[in-house]
Amino acid sequence: MTGTETLDVRVGVDLVQVSRVRRLLVEQPAAQAELFTPRELAACGTKRSRFARLAARFAAKEAVLKAFGTGLGPRMRWHDVEIVNEPYGRPRVLLHGERVRSLAQRMTGSPEISMSHTGDVALAHAVIVMRPASPWQPQPTDRESHALSPD
Amino acid sequence: MTKTRDDVTEAVRDALIDALGVEQDEVTAAATLMGDLEAESIDLLDILFRLERSLGIKITAAQLAEHVQGGISEEEFGTEEGVVSDVGLAQLATVMPQLDVESLRGKLPAEEVMQLFTVDNLVDLVLVRSAAVAA
Repeated sequence: MTGTETLDVRVGVDLVQVSRVRRLLVEQPAAQAELFTPRELAACGTKRSRFARLAARFAAKEAVLKAFGTGLGPRMRWHDVEIVNEPYGRPRVLLHGERVRSLAQRMTGSPEISMSHTGDVALAHAVIVMRPASPWQPQPTDRESHALSPD
Repeated sequence: MTKTRDDVTEAVRDALIDALGVEQDEVTAAATLMGDLEAESIDLLDILFRLERSLGIKITAAQLAEHVQGGISEEEFGTEEGVVSDVGLAQLATVMPQLDVESLRGKLPAEEVMQLFTVDNLVDLVLVRSAAVAA
């Protein structure tokens, strides 16, 4: 990277009511598998905080999509943005699917997210950094594309 | 079996009332889901799941977006400035016929398209999906 290069920093934030997510998942049980991957469901456990943690992950998916400047669009699934946890709990975003990977082509590194919940509110904030869209820009290397999962 | 428009309209109205907690008289054909009825993305999911249960027709959030965008690529649907292109507006005129496309030319931010999606537009989508499933 040169000193004159300007990076394009994008942010997305989403706030969701835990009770709203709980109602959806309880009244429409099929929504669990449509919204969350098996890894996400397993990571949220079975304790009282399960719905708050799921709500935070839903907010994180929305925040990442907002940072990319889109909602869930054509040819996309909620599983395309997967939130996993590193061994010490730091959340990490894995991107799957052709459309999301296409949106992420100019991204450097992986999306950064932070999630929180308290009471009936779950919140997530996402930041992505894109290279400028100039024709002379080099394509991402394999190392830089590490956030993209191989599916 | 293909559903009648009356069947679908009733199911859509029930789904909106149950998912959003709105009153029956608020759910008019011209009411916009995300504007007038203040639905959020999670509410849309809830509505689509309720319709699946009542009508047996599965519609995903991505299919809803695809219906509106009509298979046109994002690059073609919107301009670099983020407004809906003439190609995009021509597509919107087919799925959201209530729009006055001429008055929106060059002015409609792509991100605001779903704000204009009405109850009647949702009924149309369900009928399209119902016909596709029956075919």
